Amino acid sequence: MTSPGAVTYSGAAARRILLRPATTVRSLSRSLPTTAARPLTTSTSTLPSRQQTSPQPQQRPPRHLQSRTYHSTTHPSPPGPFTQAETPLLTTALTSHVPLHGFTLTSLTLAARDLSLLPISPSFLGPSPVFRLIHYHLYSTRTTLSSLTAVHSASLSGLSPPEKVELLTWLRLKQNEAIIPHWQQALAVMAQPSHVPTAVKELALLADEIYYLAGDQSVDPSWYTKRGGLSGIYAAAELFMTTDKSEGFQETRRFLRRRLQEAEELAGVAKSVGEWIGFTASAGVNVLRSKGVRI
Amino acid sequence: MASSRPLLRTARQLATTKILLPVSLFPRHVSTTSSPPSPPPPPGSNGTPPPPKKLKPLTQEQKDFLSSALRVNQAGELAATLIYTAQTPPILRREPHLKPLMKHMYDQEADHLRVFNSLIAKHRVRPTALYPLWSVLATGLGWSTAVMGKEAAMACTEAVETEIGGHYNAQIRELLKMVTEWEAEGYDVSDEFTELISTLRRIRDEELEHLDHAVEHDAQKAEPHWLLTGIIRAGCRGAIWVSERV
Repeated sequence: MTSPGAVTYSGAAARRILLRPATTVRSLSRSLPTTAARPLTTSTSTLPSRQQTSPQPQQRPPRHLQSRTYHSTTHPSPPGPFTQAETPLLTTALTSHVPLHGFTLTSLTLAARDLSLLPISPSFLGPSPVFRLIHYHLYSTRTTLSSLTAVHSASLSGLSPPEKVELLTWLRLKQNEAIIPHWQQALAVMAQPSHVPTAVKELALLADEIYYLAGDQSVDPSWYTKRGGLSGIYAAAELFMTTDKSEGFQETRRFLRRRLQEAEELAGVAKSVGEWIGFTASAGVNVLRSKGVRI
Repeated sequence: MASSRPLLRTARQLATTKILLPVSLFPRHVSTTSSPPSPPPPPGSNGTPPPPKKLKPLTQEQKDFLSSALRVNQAGELAATLIYTAQTPPILRREPHLKPLMKHMYDQEADHLRVFNSLIAKHRVRPTALYPLWSVLATGLGWSTAVMGKEAAMACTEAVETEIGGHYNAQIRELLKMVTEWEAEGYDVSDEFTELISTLRRIRDEELEHLDHAVEHDAQKAEPHWLLTGIIRAGCRGAIWVSERV
């Protein structure tokens, strides 16, 4: 028990204190050891009193990836993976400081200063604040895609489904414009083994979102091939974009169009082969039946 | 013969619930416990426009349950349509008079599949990853039982529909539990769920009607009846278990 504060900091109560503006905390901060120690002593003695100090603990579900299950058309959607206390800090860091300082702790610290939070606040975003920031970028760009669809509804309405997918993917890629010089660095962080599951899940959710917004209705194995193909194409286009120096990233758009075109051709070939096999098999069975074989 | 009695009884019991079905369409009487003595809704309640509904966000468990339920139902109806498709030609070769029955059952299953396909697309539920496997297995099951004879084919229908009826009942029970919890907590129940429950009830009744048809058409006379239905029912349960997960 060298530093009782260390245990307390990891709790939800400390998280709330430290993600509150510093002006309100300043009076507490002078006597921080005593105020911080109080919840600890009560929490070690009795559990209910700890719950009393935090009536609504901001607990995330164990896997704080928003899993892609049943989507209700009438019921309000449950809260996303980011708490209300974290969102202002992450938004400020992303819009004001990431374009200059990249996905770093510096951006988060500067954002905390902007919001007059304690400078230590970013360390309460979890074991890896930088990855949390990257995840927030992935999450917020994905969720704004539906409002972007509403803005572009006029240009989307006349398009065929593959063209809709192309335009939506392009709209998502364009959201990386401001942070593209730092995106390779972010990809390196996402490639760390402990972050891969969240990053891949976000990619899958993005592909699903794009197909949903494009109005795709497939409910057979093509559900998987479509989303898997788009995930791969999107990741490749994103990587291409990090080295693209052309005006308005037009080279990236051409790259995206070529890849989607190839995927479509491949899907067409696979479909034709499948149809041919199905037709031949049923024709064979019918020939045998006409010969009197009892099958 | 021992196993036929409970089967017939379930079918008959559930057939009586069919009469009560229209009652359940009123959103105020979603719980089955209240359906038998239900009075008609008060006449004045329809005059004023209803206030906006207060709906509770679905929990992760409820969402997981709903998505696995819709996924397994779609897989089940897909398998059912394929079973009937595969059974029809060999059966009609021997028993041409069964054509209207087979067509009727197939049409109903195809309608169920359409319902669940649209629900899956609407609620963004992932379809089962083993779609090709279920297609092959269902076609194989339908064809092989039909080649064994009319009785075996009907025993197959009997076994499958028994499992499916129980399975739908379990889902309806779970949904009613959700709805009564919401009502107890003072929340409203959205049309989404009242419609889902009434759809499931209609489909369950139609599946059990197929069970009755199968029993009427000598399903019990299949040669090793206990073995055939035992294997198929076990297979159904296994497929349901797997489809709920992947």
